[in-house]
This record gives sequence, structure tokens and C-alpha cells, in this order.
Amino acid sequence: MSLDVQRQTQSLLDELAARQRWHFHHILIVALIIAFLVWCANGVDLRPRETFSAVPVIADYFGRMWPPKWSFFSEIWKPAIETLYVALWGNVLATIVGVPLGLLAASHVSSSRIVRSSAMGILNVFRSISELIWAILFVAAVGLGPFPGALALGMNYGGILGRLYAEAIENVDKGPIEAMEATGASKLQVIMFAIIPQVLPQFVSYNLYWFEVGVRSATVLGMVGAGGIGFELITAIRLFEWREVGLILLFILAMVTVIDLASTYIRSRMY
Amino acid sequence: MLMPNAQNTTTMLSVRGLTKSYGGTIHALRGIDMEVKKGEFLVILGPSGAGKSTLLRCLNRLVEPTEGQIFHNDVQITGNRRNLRAVRRDFGMVFQQFNLVRRLSVLTNVLTGRLAYRSSWRSLFYNFPQEDKRIAIECLARVNMDHKAFQRADTLSGGEQQRVAIARALAQQPTVILADEPVASLDPKIARQVLTYLREVAHELGITVLCNLHQVEYTREYAERIVGMSKGRIVFDGTGAELTDDVIHRIYYRDPDEETAEEK
Repeated sequence: MSLDVQRQTQSLLDELAARQRWHFHHILIVALIIAFLVWCANGVDLRPRETFSAVPVIADYFGRMWPPKWSFFSEIWKPAIETLYVALWGNVLATIVGVPLGLLAASHVSSSRIVRSSAMGILNVFRSISELIWAILFVAAVGLGPFPGALALGMNYGGILGRLYAEAIENVDKGPIEAMEATGASKLQVIMFAIIPQVLPQFVSYNLYWFEVGVRSATVLGMVGAGGIGFELITAIRLFEWREVGLILLFILAMVTVIDLASTYIRSRMY
Repeated sequence: MLMPNAQNTTTMLSVRGLTKSYGGTIHALRGIDMEVKKGEFLVILGPSGAGKSTLLRCLNRLVEPTEGQIFHNDVQITGNRRNLRAVRRDFGMVFQQFNLVRRLSVLTNVLTGRLAYRSSWRSLFYNFPQEDKRIAIECLARVNMDHKAFQRADTLSGGEQQRVAIARALAQQPTVILADEPVASLDPKIARQVLTYLREVAHELGITVLCNLHQVEYTREYAERIVGMSKGRIVFDGTGAELTDDVIHRIYYRDPDEETAEEK
């Protein structure tokens, strides 16, 4: 008996050793990956030596930012709050864009493949155009200010959230859907009572996360004239007002940290 | 469309030559004929894969039958998909995995049984009329779950969830309840409780109950009439007393194709 067990253990150990042994094709794959990365390094014009010489230059810039020009605070708190508005309304618009398209892109909801792939296609377009490009387009279309910024976030994040929503819907428990259909509920009723309650915590969680990302992103949108603190930031950089830049960056850091903490807290309290 | 010979007024369901095949190669149902009376508690007994589940799902058209006809109260319900919601409303369904919406309250889950009576737009606001709320609470009380009306469904035990699921089916005010292995994931004591509720529903409310089971023991205890299925065919139709060991052997172990050949 014990001899049997010993023999079996030994045979499993042997098999394990055989499985863990490096084979030629493993080495080949690793070599190919390294070769590919080296080839790409050529493409990005990688210069390791200059990376190190960049460090003191960057450090110098950060040195000039210190101490931050605290008096400048009275100038930036308004645009900073505007940045939050842009992120918030960008998120609302993204939800308005994402929920219907996400539903149409999910196979539990739309049985037609044409509808599904066109919804997915629209989401792909919205997503693949970055919010900065959207912002440039909307600034041209509706003029300068926070409104084009919110629209830009709405489009780009609508594409991202719509895709995430669709995936969440695909992963719900199908039992309640069947039960709802069996009661004679309409498609809309099935969505409202069997799907939405199941995916709601995930939807909220995605929205909170993309609100965090949106705040960071909205700080940049101002650089193309789409409202918020980004405009002050790019102006200060252009005027070489490094201590003003320092204050703005510090303020963004504080804002993003607070929002991260708040949203992490809310997400941990859900479900 | 009226059934040709509708002299028996108490017939609730009539199934004629029902078949279901997938891709022409897998035959889940191979010609089912049966009649079920109003208020009857019928157990469909058979091993997994016999087609019990497909049969129930054909009755409320969650599965579209390949061929055959189903008459409900003498009205043909196969073919036309236009009245699908009205047909399904008349058939309550109880599932093995309960299929409650776990994040909704017990009462809201029961209220979903009322959805087919109400417009889709109203449902956008999760709003139900007072009458529906009264019906839902009454149905909960019938399965003795009204004391947990406002708890979330996922806080309940399996047996409690199944009772809520029965209340949801009752809230549809159906003429038929289809129970697909309703006790397969419950322990024996709770299972008997759930089967007792289902039998009460048939006796007290005159609802026809079709209950799929794979356990012979429960079938003997509860069934008034038993339909035995094997490989997509009905191989037995009789009372509990007629369910002999030989019959059970026929349902579970013998190949019905060989058997018909033997008899001929």
C-alpha cells in the first residue's frame, strides 16, 4: 500500500519535472520576444544614456517649482472646480452614450447580430478617438470653454464605458432573465428587472473609476481650450512661471488623491 | 382556433405530436401526446436528459417546438408568436435554481410576476399599481414568506428562495404552473415542504401543476398522476400505485426504442 503510494508520488514528481523542463520551443519564444522588443527599441529611438542625463534637467525643473507660489491659489481654485464639473458632466454624458449602446451591444439584450455589431462599431469609434482629439473637434464646433471638454469626455468615455457595460451584461446570471421571460415580461421589463439590478453595482463602480480618470484627463483638456485648470497650467508653463506650475501640479495631486480615496471608499461599501 | 373534439371541459392542456430537435440530429422530444386536467398535480418522472425540461419549456414557449400542437383551454398556443406574452402570463414557472433576482427585495421579486399585466413604460420607473402590491403580498402570505417581504432575496435560504419563487409564479394568477426540478437543490425536509406547497396550490386554487422530478421517492409520495419519460418519449402514464419497480426500470434503464421493437 505505502509502497504503491510512494511509487505514485514518484511518478507524479517525474511528470512534474518533465513538465517544468525547458524545451527548445520555450527558448525560441523567449528569444523571439526579446528580438521583437529590440527591434521596436530602434523604432522609438531608445537612447539609454540620455535617459540618465535627463534626470538632472527634470530635477532642475521640479526645483524651480519649489516653493509653490501660494498666493496664486486665488487664481486657480475656480478653474480647478471647473475641471471637476467637466469630469462630472463628462461622466454623465458618457453614461447617457454608453448605457443604450452597451445594452445594444450585449447578446442577452439584442438578438440581432447586425444591431450588436453596429453598436460595437460605434463604441469602437468613440473609444479609439482620444478625448484630446474630441476636445479639439468640439472646441471648433461649439467654441472655447468647459462645455466642449465635457462633450469630449462624454464621447471618449462613452465608448469605453459602453464596452465595459456590455461585458458586464454578458456576464450576468441568465437564470433570472429566463424567469422574467417566463412570466411574460417584455424585453424592456426583462432589462429593468433582471439585468439592471444585477449589473448596477458594476456600472457604478466603472463610473466612479472613470470619474477619477476623468479628473486627471480634464486637467489636460484645458490645454486645447476646453476649460478647466489645464489652461492655467499651459499658460504658466509658457510664461516660465515655474512656481505657479508647482502650485497647480500640487493642487491637481491633492484633488486627484481626495477623489481616489473617496471613490475607493464608496466602491468598497457597495455590493 | 378551437380543438376538434372539445367535449371534455376540464382539460387544461392538450399536447399533440410534440417534437423538438436541434439541428436535425439531436432529438430532445420525439412525439409527445398528453392531456392534463384542470387542477391536476402531475409529476413528470425521468432521468436527466429524458427531455422533461424541454417539454416544460415548450409549453410556455421558452423553447420553440419543432413540430406538434399545444392546446391550452382548448385554444391552440403553438405557432403564433404574437400572443406570446399573454400565453406566458398564464403559465407560472418554478426553476431548480430558483432564479430570483438576488439583489432585489423578496416583494419586488414577487411583483415581477405582475409584469406581463403592465406596460413596459411603467416598468422603467419600477412602479406597480396598488392592486399588484396587494396580490404580491397575498401570494407571499400563501407560502408563509410575508414576514421577509423587504429582505433582499440573496439573504434567504434555498428553501425560502424557492417559496418566494412559487409566490412569484402565483402572482401571475396562472392557470398552469410548470415546476422544473423544483427540489433538486434542496435537502429532503425542505424539499417535502416545497412539494407540499405546490400540491396545495393545485388543490386549493385549481391550478394545474406539472412538476419535473428525477427522484422516485418524492414522486411516489406526492404524485396523483405520473408521466414517465425516457429519451424524449412518454413510456408510462399512470397513478402512483401503478409505478412498479418494473416501470421504474423501464423509465430509467431500458432503451424505449428497443422496447417498442420488442412489443411489435
